[in-house]
Amino acid sequence: MIRAELNKRSPLRVFEKSIHGGLGKGNIGVIASRHGIGKTACLVHMATDKLFRDEHVIHISFSQNVNHVIAWYEDIFKEISTKRELEAAMDVHDNIIKNRVIMNFSQDNISVEQIIRSLKTMIEDGGFKADSIFFDGYKMTTVEHDAVERLKEFAKNMDVELWFSVSPVLDGVDFDEYGVPETLANIEDVVDVLIGMKYDGEEIVMTVVKDHGEANPSQMAIKLDPKTMLISRL
Amino acid sequence: MAEFTNMRNIGISAHIDSGKTTLSERILYYCNRIHSIHEVRGKDGVGATMDSMELEKERGITIASAATNVTWKGVDINIIDTPGHVDFTIEVERSLRVLDGAILVLCSVGGVQSQSITVDRQMKRYNVPRVAFINKCDRTGADPFKVTSQLRDKLGHNAVMMQIPIGLEDRLEGVVDLITMKAVYFDGPSGDDVRYEEIPAELQDLAEEKREVMLDAISMFSDELMEAMLEGEISEEMIHEAVRIGTLSLDLTPVYMGSAYKNKGVQSLMDAVLKYLPNPTEVENIALDLDADEAEIKVSAGNEKKTVSLAFKLEDGQYGQLTYIRIYQGKIKKGDELYNTRSRKKFKVGRLIKMHASSMEDILEAGSGDIAALFGVDCASGDTFCHPSLNYSMTSMFVPNPVITLAIDPIDKKAADSMAKALNRFTKEDPTFRTYVDPESNQTIVQGMGELHLEVYIERMKREYGAEVETGQPQVAYREAISKRAEFNYTHKKQTGGSGQYARVAGFIEPNEEENYEFVNKIKGGSIPNEYIPSCDKGFQSAMVKGTLIGFPIVNVRASINDGQYHAVDSSDQAFQTASLNAFRDAYTRAKPIILEPIMKVNVEGPTEFQGNIFASINQRRGIIISSAEDGMFCTVEADVPLSEMFGYSTILRSLTQGKAEYTMEVNKYGKVPQSVSEELKKAYEDKRKAESSKK
Ligand SMILES: Nc1nc2c(ncn2[C@@H]2O[C@H](COP(=O)(O)OP(=O)(O)OP(=O)(O)O)[C@@H](O)[C@H]2O)c(=O)[nH]1
Ligand SMILES: [Mg+2]
Repeated sequence: MIRAELNKRSPLRVFEKSIHGGLGKGNIGVIASRHGIGKTACLVHMATDKLFRDEHVIHISFSQNVNHVIAWYEDIFKEISTKRELEAAMDVHDNIIKNRVIMNFSQDNISVEQIIRSLKTMIEDGGFKADSIFFDGYKMTTVEHDAVERLKEFAKNMDVELWFSVSPVLDGVDFDEYGVPETLANIEDVVDVLIGMKYDGEEIVMTVVKDHGEANPSQMAIKLDPKTMLISRL
Repeated sequence: MAEFTNMRNIGISAHIDSGKTTLSERILYYCNRIHSIHEVRGKDGVGATMDSMELEKERGITIASAATNVTWKGVDINIIDTPGHVDFTIEVERSLRVLDGAILVLCSVGGVQSQSITVDRQMKRYNVPRVAFINKCDRTGADPFKVTSQLRDKLGHNAVMMQIPIGLEDRLEGVVDLITMKAVYFDGPSGDDVRYEEIPAELQDLAEEKREVMLDAISMFSDELMEAMLEGEISEEMIHEAVRIGTLSLDLTPVYMGSAYKNKGVQSLMDAVLKYLPNPTEVENIALDLDADEAEIKVSAGNEKKTVSLAFKLEDGQYGQLTYIRIYQGKIKKGDELYNTRSRKKFKVGRLIKMHASSMEDILEAGSGDIAALFGVDCASGDTFCHPSLNYSMTSMFVPNPVITLAIDPIDKKAADSMAKALNRFTKEDPTFRTYVDPESNQTIVQGMGELHLEVYIERMKREYGAEVETGQPQVAYREAISKRAEFNYTHKKQTGGSGQYARVAGFIEPNEEENYEFVNKIKGGSIPNEYIPSCDKGFQSAMVKGTLIGFPIVNVRASINDGQYHAVDSSDQAFQTASLNAFRDAYTRAKPIILEPIMKVNVEGPTEFQGNIFASINQRRGIIISSAEDGMFCTVEADVPLSEMFGYSTILRSLTQGKAEYTMEVNKYGKVPQSVSEELKKAYEDKRKAESSKK
């Protein structure tokens, strides 16, 4: 399959459809669930889909080691390209990873200011015109409301869309029926799109809990396949 | 000859400037090989013993690895101190090739740095078990706990602290040994006197906690220990045994710490070398039997067996021409006859010696597992010397391709002669240093791994051979390649006076990802007679030496022939070579040739406040930022940048960051140059050719 065809058939088209054509620049999207459901895989697939469409992506992680993140991208790329029998896969690979930067913050309790400062530096001094930024495992449930507002302002100023994967920092937190931790309520008003992920005993169900201000939960026609860790059609 | 169990061959490898040479100096001193300690760049101006080359002492860096022999507690240890700078990576590569174990040195502040990652990869390549030594614990910001977790996270080691520090930075006093649960201090001006005491009260809890972690981690290597732990009766022996098993299988990296400079912790590290690193019988080595289709043969220590040894390093130093060898099997005696399986020549062993730091000792024989040196043997680095009845080759080591070239001109006739001698010597010593004469400009070109690498050889040429040369601008070693298949059908025909020349070849060339070059013969029915097939192969290969785009070697081609024609009288080897060469060049222009350039993996480390400048400097160099990692005050940026854009980067980076950032780089891959650059290169080549032909 050639790249254009692959993009057309991507399950992410279904994803976008269920949130009115996509998140959109200047907006904040959150994917929330318990730990260990596969949010990283989900984010990496979303980011890879953007890369396949020649968009520029920054991936932010808060771990010790960027190599793990790179390995995720390699795995997901390989899954997609083999599954779809992508033509000239190596060329495509080399071409799209040019448009990806990984930024890692390993110090504890890094401030939102510092993250925003570093991102601006990357975009302005590094000349990296990001279209979207993916935050893997950001502590959304414990940050100040104000911090999220600042991120939103940043998204608007820089004309980027921001996606976050979020699990609760503390133990003993309750989750709603869609897999969203209650502790997220504090900042929910700043979030434009909220998606919950939940294991229902058979598969990982994805629900649009909030869609550009509309709070009318509906299950998406996609799921996360636990075998390949890819987003796929139901 | 020592008992095998009383022998170790170890290397010391690490990132630049982490203190390998300083550590080696301590080891020499504690083993009574030298009587006083001299520092790298020390005030006494003597310089470290292992950095014996004048240039090394002046610059305070190690350029060539040095082998030395010491005795620690009755065990005979061959130690190789290796350079940290990537330009000399082949030195590390070949040392690790012949070593059985290694000390991975890390800076307690810098932690796992880019070169630590490279060195670690090399250690894995040759299956070398290692112990880690976290050095410079006396420096401000020292954090051996952080470095240990980096060993786990960044290198994926099962790194386990065998000690904890007593005090850190300027209060570093010693270490707590988590096996004996004793505090260890190193008294006296040079730390000679090792004193054991009770653990300071304030460290008792931490020591117990870390001991538990250590025991937990190592218990998986020994059922005996696991049981003993349940019963609460653990002996030191059990712990040693478990650590040893884990280390030898590369599943465990025991971590030691201290400060070489402040003479702390070195003796404990040496004890660990004896206890946990393998003796020569405990590592597997493979040779290829050249008489049996390169079948793999295990070689193993045993002095009664037939000799197999590897020449891993050549040195033309203060004592004359030395060849360092590692004996894998059998022994070598003065007067023995050995067979060099590459040159297929026999030679007699003359002087046989053992190196001790800067002195040497004549010996009569050396046994399996040992490292020794021969005098005056004509060979190249990497040659295998066997008993004359064997035809083995030790599996080769990984040799990276040179990426930078430099034109050099001797200043006069005398310099030209000495230069030729020097080049002949250096290229034999160092497989990453190459040289050739450009047929068009008639200039001598040298190639190497980086600016520093070439600079060092130019300087050595002057100092050691009195050869002064003028140098051009360093240039990137570009390559040419084809991007699509193209057919050829070429007839070479010449009728001049007597016998003529005739040959026709037909076939195609196509891109070849796997190899630099492959020749495929698809001729059926003898349209080209068998005797001329090798001539076609040769003709293609000579066409690939120099591409027609910008005059650099062509790589990654498969050339196939499927038809042709010959003439009973006028065909010859030469005619088919010429026909093939021209056929290749003709097809080449139609095969959409492209220019490839070395792309470097660049790693910049510096204070976060300069992040913007660092990003910008990479962006301006056609670089692609792969990642940027921030850890409080420090950030590390990893990027792919074309080598051609990196000349002079150190000066620029220094000025951009007030000298506070550092970078390292190594070849990552060859990548296609962008259109605009390609046009520039082609034009420059055209101009150069025109200028040269108008000169003639
Ligand atoms: N504070 C402190 N400085 C040290 C220590 N060990 C080495 N140094 C200093 O660090 C610098 C580099 O030390 P070397 O021993 O030359 O390092 P190296 O790893 O051999 O360097 P290359 O061979 O060039 O890669 C020298 O100035 C040493 O004096 C230490 O334990 N503490
Ligand atoms: Mg050194």
